[in-house]
Amino acid sequence: MTAAVRADGLTAGYGGRAVLRDVSFELERGRTLCVLGPNGGGKTTLFRALTRELRPLAGIVHLDGRPAYVAQTERTRLDFPVSALDVALMGTLPRGRWWLPARHADHAAALAALARVGVRELADTRFGELSGGQRQRVLLARALVQEAGVLLLDEPLAGVDPASAETIASLFGELRREGRALLVSTHDVESARRFDLVLCLNGRQIAFGPPDDTLDRATLESTYGAELIVLDEAGPTRAITVQHHEH
Amino acid sequence: MIAAAPSPLDLVDLPFMRTALLELGLLAVAGGLLGTWIVLRRLAFFSHAVGTATFPGLVVANATGFSAQGAGLAAALLYAGGVERAGRQGRAPGDAATGVLLVAALAGGVVLASDVSHSGAAVDQLLFGTLLGLGHGDLALSAAAAVVAVAATATVGRAWTAIGFDPDSARAQGLPADRADLLLLGLVAAAVVAALPAVGALLVTSVFVVPAACARLLTGSVRSMLPCAVAVALVQGALGLYLAYWLDTPPGPAVATLGAVSYALLALVRR
Repeated sequence: MTAAVRADGLTAGYGGRAVLRDVSFELERGRTLCVLGPNGGGKTTLFRALTRELRPLAGIVHLDGRPAYVAQTERTRLDFPVSALDVALMGTLPRGRWWLPARHADHAAALAALARVGVRELADTRFGELSGGQRQRVLLARALVQEAGVLLLDEPLAGVDPASAETIASLFGELRREGRALLVSTHDVESARRFDLVLCLNGRQIAFGPPDDTLDRATLESTYGAELIVLDEAGPTRAITVQHHEH
Repeated sequence: MIAAAPSPLDLVDLPFMRTALLELGLLAVAGGLLGTWIVLRRLAFFSHAVGTATFPGLVVANATGFSAQGAGLAAALLYAGGVERAGRQGRAPGDAATGVLLVAALAGGVVLASDVSHSGAAVDQLLFGTLLGLGHGDLALSAAAAVVAVAATATVGRAWTAIGFDPDSARAQGLPADRADLLLLGLVAAAVVAALPAVGALLVTSVFVVPAACARLLTGSVRSMLPCAVAVALVQGALGLYLAYWLDTPPGPAVATLGAVSYALLALVRR
């Protein structure tokens, strides 16, 4: 079976300078992959290479079809006068001829996607007026509308309320059962245990494999360095990370 | 002493006023629609800089008999191309660089006008426009700008919205974001040049930014902002022209002043 996503010796960066080196992994359809790493560890760079926004400095990436990409919510313009429905409709743009007006079927697909993530009643609300969790759900709806086989989600759980986090997590399960491949980056070491595979990055690939094989203390310390706080000295490694956000 | 108010019908009855009104109407369509994208994409300073960048070219054209629109368009497109290239390389042209360009373009234009061509009297016209001395060619160019603005908004508008809202995802979706951006910058540059005879190099902002900025305060969606910006531009243009006729002032600056005052009032009310 061919992989839905494959990277082989991928090195990527900006202006010829590598910030992520030698990443190799495979993800099949119907499987979920969690990308762990500190800020500046290369998570977003990996996504940019997968979406082909960045050309690899070395190595190759292969994706089965065009992916749906959900960037971090702070990359969106909150002052833009668009409603939740407008944002979901943006997902229909490449489905057909983007220079034509939205069709009835596009509206129906956008509304169905909003309903699926539980924010149908907020369709006419301005995107900038939504809570962090609601915004993330609307961006997920836009990704669903694209009907892509591969979904790339950059920190979809950051700054999200518990109810939205629950909705998003159960949606991941549904998408997996539908046979889609999911790549999700997160800060949260504990949530990584719910994924099929984990990829640890810190400027290079630290580990790749099932959570039970990868989420040990040595790997997490290599991944996070001083940002790691180990909660339990005995038993399975439970840890949280201290994130320094750049503003 | 302020004269008694003239009949508003003079705007339609007097041929030179009718031409000015028609020009303002055409620019309202081009400026309102493209202005909406300028304001949403935060290109207000860019559009002002494009106008000013054309000034030295206009001076040279004026002195040598070369086509003013041709010289202006060359300067504007050169500047737009530079901005797009800088943006694509990940470094937006800094405010400082744009500021230096504005000073250089203005000062260079004035030096050229006084020392080289000795056409100082024309500088006023080049900077502030002559709404009352327009020819058929000027109207035709503005009509073309209006048609292109309508066509571009109808076809590329959805993509411009998606790219402006979330450029990373739009690119990942496969939208031609770089080409769409280049098209927008090029259209703004070309439309600014079409507006130069009427409002001059320094007042293009009154057509391309002020109405859309007002509409931004009055509306809550891109769909409603577009017609609202055109309507605001029409009202400001007609009212400014009438006031200029009544008070015997140059019409371009009258329209610009009216626009600035109405924006300030709206911003105060909406606070």
